[in-house]
Amino acid sequence: MAEATSTQRLQLVEDWSADVAVFKGVPWGKAMMWIFLLSDTFIFTSFLTGYMTVRMTTAEPWPNPSEVFALDAFGVPVPLLLIAIMTFILISSSGTMAMAVNMGYRRKRKAAAVLMIVTAIFGASFVGMQMFEWTKLIVDEGVRPWSNPMGASQFGACFFMITGFHGLHVSAGVVYLAIVATRVWRGRYEEKGYDIVEITGLYWHFVDLVWVFIFAFFYLW
Amino acid sequence: MAVEAQIPYQEALDVHHPHSWLTRYWFSQDHKVIAIQYGITAIGVGLVALVLSGMMRLQLGFPDSFDFIDPEAYYQFITMHGMIMVIYLLTALLLGGFGNYLVPLMCGARDMVFPFVNMISYHVYFASVLILLASYFVPGGPTGAGWTLYPPQAILTGTPGVDWGILTMLVSLAVFIVAFTMGGLNYVTTILQARTRGMSLMRMPLSIWGIFMATVLGLLAFPALFVSAVMMILDKTIGTSFFMPAISSLGEQLDYSGGSPLLFQHLFWFFGHPEVYIVALPAFGIVSDLISTHARKNIFGYRMMVWAIVAIGVLSFIVWAHHMYVSGMHPYFGFFFATTTLIIAVPTAIKVYNWTLTLLRANIHMTVPMLFSIAFVITFVVGGLTGLFLGNVIVDVPLSDTYFVVAHFHMVMGVSPILVIFGAIYHWYPKMTGKMLDDRIGQVHFWITFLGTYAIYYPMHYLGFVGVPRRYFANGEMAIIDESVLLLNQGITIAALIVGVAQILFIWNLIYSYYRGRDSGPNPWKATTLEWQTPETPPRHGNWESTLPTVHRWAYDYSVPGAKDDFIPQSEPPGGEHEGSART
Amino acid sequence: MIVAIMLFIIVIGSLVFNFLSPWWFTEIASNWGGIDFAVFVTFWICGVAFVLIGLFMVYTTWKYRRREGQTAVYEPENKRLEWILTILTTIGVVGMLAPGLLVWDDYVNVPPQAREVEIVGQQWSWSYRLPGEDGILGTVDAKLISVDNPFGLDPEDPDGQDDILIEREALHLPIDRPVKALLRSKDVLHDFYVPQFRAKMDLVPGMITYMWFTPTRVGTYEVLCAELCGIGHHTMRGTVVVDTQEDYDTWLDGQQTYAQISTRPQGDPIAGQATYAVCAACHGPAGEGLVALNAPKLSGQDEWYLRHQILAYKQGLRGVHEEDTYGKEMAPMVATLFDAATTENVIAYIRSLPDDPAPVTIDGNADRGANLYSGCTVCHGSDGGGSHGTFAPRLAGMTDWYLARQLQNFRAGIRGSHPMDNLGKQMGLMSKQLGDDDAINDVVAYINTMSTRMTQTAMRQTIDDRGETDGG
Repeated sequence: MAEATSTQRLQLVEDWSADVAVFKGVPWGKAMMWIFLLSDTFIFTSFLTGYMTVRMTTAEPWPNPSEVFALDAFGVPVPLLLIAIMTFILISSSGTMAMAVNMGYRRKRKAAAVLMIVTAIFGASFVGMQMFEWTKLIVDEGVRPWSNPMGASQFGACFFMITGFHGLHVSAGVVYLAIVATRVWRGRYEEKGYDIVEITGLYWHFVDLVWVFIFAFFYLW
Repeated sequence: MAVEAQIPYQEALDVHHPHSWLTRYWFSQDHKVIAIQYGITAIGVGLVALVLSGMMRLQLGFPDSFDFIDPEAYYQFITMHGMIMVIYLLTALLLGGFGNYLVPLMCGARDMVFPFVNMISYHVYFASVLILLASYFVPGGPTGAGWTLYPPQAILTGTPGVDWGILTMLVSLAVFIVAFTMGGLNYVTTILQARTRGMSLMRMPLSIWGIFMATVLGLLAFPALFVSAVMMILDKTIGTSFFMPAISSLGEQLDYSGGSPLLFQHLFWFFGHPEVYIVALPAFGIVSDLISTHARKNIFGYRMMVWAIVAIGVLSFIVWAHHMYVSGMHPYFGFFFATTTLIIAVPTAIKVYNWTLTLLRANIHMTVPMLFSIAFVITFVVGGLTGLFLGNVIVDVPLSDTYFVVAHFHMVMGVSPILVIFGAIYHWYPKMTGKMLDDRIGQVHFWITFLGTYAIYYPMHYLGFVGVPRRYFANGEMAIIDESVLLLNQGITIAALIVGVAQILFIWNLIYSYYRGRDSGPNPWKATTLEWQTPETPPRHGNWESTLPTVHRWAYDYSVPGAKDDFIPQSEPPGGEHEGSART
Repeated sequence: MIVAIMLFIIVIGSLVFNFLSPWWFTEIASNWGGIDFAVFVTFWICGVAFVLIGLFMVYTTWKYRRREGQTAVYEPENKRLEWILTILTTIGVVGMLAPGLLVWDDYVNVPPQAREVEIVGQQWSWSYRLPGEDGILGTVDAKLISVDNPFGLDPEDPDGQDDILIEREALHLPIDRPVKALLRSKDVLHDFYVPQFRAKMDLVPGMITYMWFTPTRVGTYEVLCAELCGIGHHTMRGTVVVDTQEDYDTWLDGQQTYAQISTRPQGDPIAGQATYAVCAACHGPAGEGLVALNAPKLSGQDEWYLRHQILAYKQGLRGVHEEDTYGKEMAPMVATLFDAATTENVIAYIRSLPDDPAPVTIDGNADRGANLYSGCTVCHGSDGGGSHGTFAPRLAGMTDWYLARQLQNFRAGIRGSHPMDNLGKQMGLMSKQLGDDDAINDVVAYINTMSTRMTQTAMRQTIDDRGETDGG
């Protein structure tokens, strides 16, 4: 048969290009989420590349992050205290999320729903602390997107834009988690299976991972 | 995970059938209706851009003759024309239109994997078009920054539409990207995960390969445009300095400092170059299928064609700075980007050879789609070869920002994909409506369009050799040119106006044939691919009967030796009706 | 069949067009013959490929068009052929790329003996700065750019004092001496482009870009802007003159340094009064202008503009066109009367004269004029007050019949047609939008409505200033 000749030679190609689905056993929603996250990675990469570029092109001094982001604890300024707490919370939320996925596949739907709600609460508290941080920067330290008293104006611009965009992702994630958790609790996925928990988890882990990069580039550089 | 848990085919897909006019034609979740919605909107807004190009040509051919065209209006024309054509017409029509229509049908699926998201995608796209067109109704009119929207000029006084036009443009682009992402995720997931039995990747028609790769490029490239749009909106509205260094504009010091105009250019072209292939790859794929079908011959070197599409897609991400050879970026980038750019010429050339070799020893039916395909190949050859001039860094130096560039990119990503789109519409219109488009009108439309566009853009290269800069409202007295250049410009303008007016024939044909056209039957071109094997024409919601078709062969079994007919549909089992018993 | 014929006509027609076309590169005037060679190589490799592919398509569409009893050959692939074609293409590509990259290597590496010239772009004109005798360009800062310091030079930097500043005039270059052009923009992107030099590079605000070339042919060349820079993009022209060494030295001697310009003596209005007596005969004792003698109002006009026009007359850029009757009357007056010092004195005196709005003599449709004026706003300001930043003179409150006549002259090429008069050329290009004399009258009628508004704003400003002073 002539048409069969085209796929005989490369085993890898043959595996990958089998009929029906490239990724066997991967539900559509999960495949779509992976592709979306890949696309979203490019958004954050572009944001961070832009940030690094302007940080290098600007002639004015870049504010020292460990001073700007210091928090007074019992009268002593502790550098990066708040950020450390925020990062800790977000990473913990990834842990609870992973447990929720596990519970989902073990069909313990109530446990999965509770863990997802815990994750959402962690996420919401992260956003809350971020709002606190923004308020502190804007009100107390006079940082604006277009200027700040410590140096290069791009500091505020990049900070608000990138953490704001990430904060939107977290907020959307919290809403998403809440919706899915409610549905899981009510047993809506008993028939279809609990892939949805994993898909939600993918998104949530991605948001956490992005935060690690933002943390590294913004607060530690 | 248990194998039972997956839903391997779309067999069981619960198709949400429409109940009213509104859900049938406006809020439809049927990929075919969404495709036609995309198509009509894109063609509609494309006509606006066509009129704008006519006005530009009037000014260039007959300067100082039209009161309503001043520099402000002219720069608004070029900006809106460029942006509409590239994004809102070509990208939307090729992916939103043909992508939506062909992907489920050619893959043998009932619909896209997420029909609801697909529906939303169209409506968001429609909103982006409305926001874009609103530019003409805001104070100051649309932006005149050129479709590249380079800052600082795009957001400073001295450019038209600096108050509102630039914002509507940027917001519209951001909204478009959201729409594209929703659609694109659907196309990619459908192609990867929801093909029918037997439809392996290496049996997919090249149309699907082109659309698939283009969508992947879009999903990875549009983010850069999105980010640059967000940054520029911030620069414009709240005075951040991402792209704005210290500047004194028209004698006044501005409050910006420390930003990088080149950052925008890098982000823009990181999107912008893949964008060229977002437009070109679906056209490459579609034209391969048209040529094969109408030449009654298998596409030559199918595997090479697939690998060429993949290679072009991958390479397109590492060539972007060839748009920036004289932008002031570090000159050593020139070596790298010139090399990658010329490497991309090799897979592209292979595609051209394979199209022409498909014609060799074929049995060419000179149908209207075939005419457009042949016209595409010759136009694309000119556009591709002139791309080698501009890709070769030092040759680009005298030619960049001249009419050579204008001629090149119109040939390669304006006229070429448009010719394919015309061919594709003539080819698939029967499937969409059950009627044939009128052949005679089609022939006339083809000859005017093909010869006319060639007459517009081929001579235009020579203006570039002379050194006439592009984006000039008027040349006036310029030392390097004489009267003959104006004469040439007049000739080009006349050709352009004729081509522009001739498109009425096409629109008329679409409308006329819908009501009066000859019935096409299910498979008028005797094509092999799955969309021609649907039980009904036009296919109903859900596309197939209770079982999905099974694919037994690749998409190009034309003129198989010994077979009964000169085509064997993909879904035909060995020894079936068209193949006959001669071969098993 | 018709397809094959048409394709044949297209291939042959393209060739014929190529060989008969009068449109080709301008004669080269720099060392960049290598660029022309690279274009030549690319052109022929691509040209041959085009003809071969085109003729091959003619052959296939002719030979294999649909005929009775013909069937296509079933031929999925032909590895050998595909490899041969791939290798041939690769060879062609390398053949173009290799010489291209070699020339590019030249292009980006500036020879050490090249002399620096700074080229400064702004909307929409070109200025230049040469290092003085010390051979070093002084430091600049975009934040220092102002009307009095258009180059943004650091006044404290000793290296900058002897820098030669050429604002909006022609740049002269000596022949056969390599030049390293440092490119700087004050506002938006521009691109310094002299077609005959082949070289080209963007000017990017916030950074300094460079390119180098060696002029090889004496002559006057037009500078074009090749990067869209706003509505005046097409009017952003400049001039480069390539001189023999002697001519260049003569020219260089006549140029002023930063120190000379910044310490230019203030004009003395008392001394200027005496000189002005001659002018008063036509322009009126208070500089109010006299329509009967075709003399425009001078009082209230910006001093830089007066200086620039006197210079234009003196250099023969203005008042030399045959049909410019009144300009020709003015030219000899300027030539006989003014040296540098008297110029400053007269200007100082004119600036001391009372500035009353000129009487309205032109009748037109001011509403229509308001629309037409929208294109003028960017340079001349929405209040018609003019701007030194864009080198646009004040219009509001000046003699309207004179504005109308000058617009007519610009449009007809009577003014601004001198090849070295880049600003005049700019206005000439812009004035082309005003289709006929009615349009000109309408615009002028609209400008007339501004003079009253202008006075009101000025008064309000004065009151505001006073208020602030009182408050402080």
